[in-house]
Amino acid sequence: MKFDRSKKPSPSSEISFKMPSQSKFSLNNGLDIYFVKKKELPIIRLNVIINAGSKFDLTNKKGTSNLLTMCIDEGAGKYNALELSEQFDLLGAHLSLNCNNDTIQITLQTLKENFNEALDLLGKILTEPHLTEKDFDREKSKIQTQLKQLSDDPDYLANTAFESILFGESHPYSFPVLGLNDNIANINNDEISSYYSKFILPSNSFIIAVGDITKEELKKNLNEHISVWEKGNADFHVDKVSNPDKKTVYIVNKKDAVQTEIRVGHHSTGKKSKDYFSKHLLNTILGGQFTSRINLNLREKHGYTYGAGSSFNYYKDDAYFGVSTSVGIENTTNTLNEIFYELNNIRNGVTEEELSFAKSSIIRKFPLNFETYRQVASHIIGKVIYDLPDDYYDKYINNINSVSIDEVNEAATKNIFPDSAMTVLVGDKDKLLEQLKDDNFGEIKVVD
Amino acid sequence: MELLNIKYQKYKLDNGLEIILHQNKNLPAVAVNVWYKVGSAQETKGKTGVAHLFEHMMFQGSENVAKEKHFKYVQESGGTLNGSTSIDRTNYYEKLPSNYLELALWLESDRMGYFLPALNQEKLDNQKDVVFNERLERYDNQPYGLAWELLITNLYDKNHPYSWPTIGFADDIKNYNLDDVVNFFKKYYSPNNASLVVAGNFDVEKTKSLIEKYFANIESGEELNHLKTVNKKLDENKVITYEDNVQLERIYLSWPSGKAYSENDAALDILSDLLTGSKNSRLYKTLVFQKEIAQDISAFQFSGKYAGHFTIVGTAKPGHTLDEIKSEIFKEINNIKVNGISSKELHRSKIGIKSSFVFSLQNLDSIADHLNSYNFYLNEPNSFSFDLNRYDKVTTKEINNVSEKYLSKPFVELRIIPKSSKT
Repeated sequence: MKFDRSKKPSPSSEISFKMPSQSKFSLNNGLDIYFVKKKELPIIRLNVIINAGSKFDLTNKKGTSNLLTMCIDEGAGKYNALELSEQFDLLGAHLSLNCNNDTIQITLQTLKENFNEALDLLGKILTEPHLTEKDFDREKSKIQTQLKQLSDDPDYLANTAFESILFGESHPYSFPVLGLNDNIANINNDEISSYYSKFILPSNSFIIAVGDITKEELKKNLNEHISVWEKGNADFHVDKVSNPDKKTVYIVNKKDAVQTEIRVGHHSTGKKSKDYFSKHLLNTILGGQFTSRINLNLREKHGYTYGAGSSFNYYKDDAYFGVSTSVGIENTTNTLNEIFYELNNIRNGVTEEELSFAKSSIIRKFPLNFETYRQVASHIIGKVIYDLPDDYYDKYINNINSVSIDEVNEAATKNIFPDSAMTVLVGDKDKLLEQLKDDNFGEIKVVD
Repeated sequence: MELLNIKYQKYKLDNGLEIILHQNKNLPAVAVNVWYKVGSAQETKGKTGVAHLFEHMMFQGSENVAKEKHFKYVQESGGTLNGSTSIDRTNYYEKLPSNYLELALWLESDRMGYFLPALNQEKLDNQKDVVFNERLERYDNQPYGLAWELLITNLYDKNHPYSWPTIGFADDIKNYNLDDVVNFFKKYYSPNNASLVVAGNFDVEKTKSLIEKYFANIESGEELNHLKTVNKKLDENKVITYEDNVQLERIYLSWPSGKAYSENDAALDILSDLLTGSKNSRLYKTLVFQKEIAQDISAFQFSGKYAGHFTIVGTAKPGHTLDEIKSEIFKEINNIKVNGISSKELHRSKIGIKSSFVFSLQNLDSIADHLNSYNFYLNEPNSFSFDLNRYDKVTTKEINNVSEKYLSKPFVELRIIPKSSKT
């Protein structure tokens, strides 16, 4: 067959994609349920999202919410910790618990045939956790040891140091979700129980259900197993005062490290800011993808790193912009020079070609974002947590499409600030100081 | 389970390329997945890591696709893409909106047939740097990051193809030259050494003719033979101690076991789950939950086309020793050898495995990769049910037998300990 191989094939006819439709209802105890029917496979996935993340940890008690997350499934109802875990195993159901800055998330994924029984167990975890002293002591020791282990991990050190310095001491996001070891030593089981009573309430939570079930049946099952959970009267939020951004280099010493972990960034505006879509396109061009400017420069042009990228990171109550990579020590300043070059250069504007590439990739990828049960659930979780409009995803493609090049360029000058960006380097202090002395990435401070 | 009956068509082009088509219309998407039957096992001493380096080079463009354009074209069409290298094979995959299927076929065929004209020293030097940094980031600078390398170099005979790491030794990475890459391509990247899966929402007849259009003209290469490997027995226990930038001591115990899909492969998987797969598993319950002498414990059967090994890994909690952990591990293994396991424990493992099979069907790219994997190891793409049955058939007695058969033999013991504080 003769044809011109040099010509890139064009797409066949346009595809059609229908967003999975979502409904919302409330249980007898006032708990809001968001439901998406998805029936390719006999799977049901349920996420319980509780507004009780680490940002609510008290001063000197950093690590409380994560410890509760670790303890809450250590025995509930008539089962002790081992029995409860075995009950889930015998149903082939996956239970996972996770704590982040904003929320505690309890996720259940199960085959449809075992949903009702697994839901019964989940209900017991929410309403009748044992929270015994013995289980608490074990989990506390586990997290203390884990934090010790993580102090070996350059990636963890860089991320936690960056957020700690960026937000500043009194800010609820400046502490690691897992807590601080000297704080955890001060936490007792009564405080875990109080945290449970105060925060783990239907009026402070919502549920996302995705799966092969009718709305009526889901409602019946949830009312049966979850509605004994007493509503409560929760209205929790945090106060925040951030450090101002200042161009400074912070070195976290890791003797004998063979690489430098690099983070560069500064504060940013939240998910509801009106230039959100412009920022998203901007970052897609700058550092959001393999073919974005930062990775092409640091990896494909210079070979300094295995990978590099940037992102706007959104929490419920705050946000920041950050560049992240790790490089051979000898290339630390070379890399910083290139990162700052890219941050300055993007403020000079993007090309029409770059913008149309970014739009095309985001818009055409949209249907693939709704493939797995987890993906569908996580999109709705984001919408609820960030309090986005109901039709957010229906209008998503239009909102991306309608951004002009002027708006992206304006977003660059309004959201990328190389002159006040702070840098965190995790690596061998002596080698880093030697290398950094003649370059100006800001005042240098060595931190513990 | 009818759900696991993944229907497909399989045929061969004249040049030897195997084609596997599976229709699945849940989403307007299509997955393209190519397996080349070459992994780090085919490498030679002094040139370890070249299969993985080659995987990087395949993203550097081909005759009709300029450097960086491979990524650009796929991402521009809304697709995702990557590749990976293992001991046995190298895979390349894209998932795209279904109307961009032809783009993926064009890209995959261009680098299968027309790679060499676009290759040059500059691209090679760049990717050698990238891979060297990958090694630093993922292995050398990671706590316990060199454990795997230390295990396999001691577990396998120095001439066995599984005795070196897929990423390659650091010195070898620096020494690849252009000829290595050219020769590797000529020898292993021919259509007769590859299989192409297309899975998802597509028209079968149109797709067949597109595959013909893009791939049929690529010339086949030499016939490749199976590797000749000698699995020398491990004659006695080996103990290795390695100092690393870590705070907690960790022990690895590793026994030679069996190949992928061989007689006891599934039973060893189940054994690993019985030992460490859940809160109630034997070792987790004793070491982590009750005695609290270990921070974590895990076990796994790792098996490839030519060999396998069974490994148990545990990290000591501060104030406890690796000797305590080791002694508990052997106590529990002996307990299983002597007293066996309960049918309830076995049932628990099997239920979990069954659910995992269903959960794994959520991803089109995972289905596509499985079809290629089953085709490679079993010569039958639709082996999902067969695979699940392997686990279903395991009896409590077989668990006894494999514990005796493998875990009574010599093993490699690796201890990673904190660097001694030098004064």
